[in-house]
Amino acid sequence: MAPLLDVAGVAKRFGAVTALSDGALRVGTGEIHALLGANGSGKSTLCKIIAGAVARDAGVLQLHGADAVLKHPRDAERLGVGLFYQELSLVPQLTVADNIFLGHERTAPLGFLSARRKRADVTALISRFAPVLGDGFSPDVPVARLAADQRQIVEILKVLSRKPKLIIFDEATAALDRRQVAIFFDVLRELRAEGVSSIFISHRMDEIFAVSDRITVMRNGVTVASFATADTDQDAVVHAMVGDAPLRERIEHPRPANAAPARITLTSGTSRRLHGVSLSVGAGEILGLGGLQGQGQSVLLQGLFGAAPFTNGTIAIDGKPVPVRSPAAAVRHGVAYVSGDRGRDAALQGRSIFENIANATLVREKRRVFWPRQLKPRFEEALKQLNTKYASLDAPIGSLSGGNQQKVFIARWLATGAKVLLLDDPAKGVDLGAKADFFSLARGLAAEGAGIVFYASDDAELLSVCDRILVFNSGRITAELTGSTLTSFHLTKAAYGEAA
Amino acid sequence: MSTALIRNPLVLAFLSILVILAAGEIISPGFARGDQISKLLTVSAILGIVAAGQCLVVIGGREGIDLSVGVMISLGAVLAGNVMSGSNGAIAPAFLVAGGATFLIGIVNGLGVTFLRIPPLVMTLGMTGVVQGGLTVITRGIPSGNAAPALMSFVNEPLFLGLPGILFIWALIGVLMWFLLRRTDLGYAIYAMGSNERAATLVGVPVRFIRVLLYGLSGLFAGITGVLVIGYTGNSFVSVGDQYMLLSIIAVVIGGVSLNGGTGNYFGVMLGAIALTLLQSVLTTLQLESWGRQLTFGVVLVLLMLLYGRSKRQRV
Ligand SMILES: Nc1ncnc2c1ncn2[C@@H]1O[C@H](COP(=O)(O)OP(=O)(O)OP(=O)(O)O)[C@@H](O)[C@H]1O
Ligand SMILES: [Mg+2]
Repeated sequence: MAPLLDVAGVAKRFGAVTALSDGALRVGTGEIHALLGANGSGKSTLCKIIAGAVARDAGVLQLHGADAVLKHPRDAERLGVGLFYQELSLVPQLTVADNIFLGHERTAPLGFLSARRKRADVTALISRFAPVLGDGFSPDVPVARLAADQRQIVEILKVLSRKPKLIIFDEATAALDRRQVAIFFDVLRELRAEGVSSIFISHRMDEIFAVSDRITVMRNGVTVASFATADTDQDAVVHAMVGDAPLRERIEHPRPANAAPARITLTSGTSRRLHGVSLSVGAGEILGLGGLQGQGQSVLLQGLFGAAPFTNGTIAIDGKPVPVRSPAAAVRHGVAYVSGDRGRDAALQGRSIFENIANATLVREKRRVFWPRQLKPRFEEALKQLNTKYASLDAPIGSLSGGNQQKVFIARWLATGAKVLLLDDPAKGVDLGAKADFFSLARGLAAEGAGIVFYASDDAELLSVCDRILVFNSGRITAELTGSTLTSFHLTKAAYGEAA
Repeated sequence: MSTALIRNPLVLAFLSILVILAAGEIISPGFARGDQISKLLTVSAILGIVAAGQCLVVIGGREGIDLSVGVMISLGAVLAGNVMSGSNGAIAPAFLVAGGATFLIGIVNGLGVTFLRIPPLVMTLGMTGVVQGGLTVITRGIPSGNAAPALMSFVNEPLFLGLPGILFIWALIGVLMWFLLRRTDLGYAIYAMGSNERAATLVGVPVRFIRVLLYGLSGLFAGITGVLVIGYTGNSFVSVGDQYMLLSIIAVVIGGVSLNGGTGNYFGVMLGAIALTLLQSVLTTLQLESWGRQLTFGVVLVLLMLLYGRSKRQRV
């Protein structure tokens, strides 16, 4: 029997950039198929081609055993293909319900829009994720008010609501925590039982092995390998991904001296969703913020950065109390904030890579007037440290792959030479190798005296780099993990509120 | 490649200038003569200078637009005319009074938009009404004040290379705008907040301060334009500035500045101002009534919006 999807020899160029030179993918009916590859290897491009959002330059694309003509995403939708867009496709001003049904409204007899049907359908869709939706989620809130993970769930529901036969999830789990991922995987497995196939893209190896039936690996725009998950292991997959380039090992590091001076200290920080949190990060320390998604970690980081100032509490930087009422004040004191929610918090769409980096440096150094060539070498250096794949600093930010964009937003802060780094799920969408590079870079910055506060939706990331983890629950610190308690077991237990 | 060129607003504006010039020459031989062109450039400069302020407000985003530039030009002209009363010694004070008043009005626009979160369209339209009312009360509808002779010759008579002084001022403004937008932190901040306000805030850009300033600058440019307008016409009346509201917006759009904010530059707007002035002049040559011109401009604006306005907007 012909596979559900059979793609071969697909090529795509964007101007001078070759995004895909030989993309291939074969997905059977009722299969969960993982697609892997480093940042910029062409995954998103391949998926957009399959979903009719990007036109291919060459190659064969068969759906249900017949050549598919995809001039528009609607054509693919009609053939039963749905795509979860890595950069999301939601309209911020519209409500959750309106976004989910955008473009295929629920109608009543005579063609009137049916509010009742819509409500019933939304409720049914949401119910699966109900236990893990977090604060402030309702079908009637505008998407702009949701947190990153909540928006990602809305995008998932939007795709599911169309009942496709083949669903492509392009980094759908990037901002989800482990409970949310678990539910999402259950949904995938149920769909598989009904004969629905999924293509699942993720940079998290454990997820790939937990859920997929087959794995296809891409490198530099070429499909290089395909495995049955049961017959392979992580080493083989990683090897296919990066070729012979060695991956960095888990970063071992000396414990920072306890006497290290505090870089940033918060005393009883309080705001609407945070209740009297105190903490101190020393020079050379990486402090992790753990716990379930949305327990106050992001609110805390934004408070420290002045983006959502505390109603109460004092911040001291290098021992001196400073009023951090705005990001501008924080930046001038050498504080940096990297958000994983890049579309909303970081991307200056339509502007060049250079401009996307420059603003932070200009603010930090109070440069009124500058010549780009004074700054370019420094920016190129920062991008190189993260192995960013880009054509030129003058290229628009939108021409980079998701992960490479994220690297630009990290480089933006590296270029400022910040001494306090507030990292809010910073490695979202960044591939394995680059993630390891970034973490060892963070370690290096700490060794040079930076103080780092780090939140990640992925526990493994926290455990691999942090010296200490504060576990959050409902806006309070409920546990502190150090030394021998820095394990997945203790972290999970503490996150669910049991005494560790 | 070729479609990319056609879609480049600068190329498009430049091409349309050539086409309109040729059309003008065909309709009325002599249209593209040297002294004619110098005259048309003078009119373009007046439009181009208001459009500088309009362009800043639009690039700054959050649906930025300034509908009050028209009345602010009228106000500037009336104030300048009364301050000057035909005396050369009072030219500098005239610029100061006119520019100062419209700058402050612009600041009020900016405060309303930024802190009261009134949509720019509504805020500046409301301001138009207020200023219009004020003007009528001050002037009682009678033309008043007149320009200093030196100002009139600066705007109308050749100064250097056969071109009037105002064109050199316009060129200088062009260079300054380039410098502001491409070589200063403020310029980068304006693009950043126009592209993504939240992201701009999160790199430390003082978004609110800048937005207020942008509306202030738009007022300032309108005030200066008002003084130049009276220099061009000799005296002022309450509605001299009216036509510039729509024209400045069209010039900005022809120049390739997206009304969504965050893109475009002033050189395009300068070309846009020239193209639009030429078009206006051709239409006048065709003896089209004022309503016919308005209609044409409206159609041009809509067509341009169709051409550029549908570029994909970034979603969340
Ligand atoms: N619209 C575009 N214009 C120019 N280049 C593009 C465009 N879209 C993608 N590219 C380039 O194509 C290459 C592949 O990008 P793609 O987004 O498919 O990567 P990816 O595998 O999804 O990476 P990631 O893991 O970072 O999301 C990258 O080098 C990227 O810069
Ligand atoms: Mg991608």
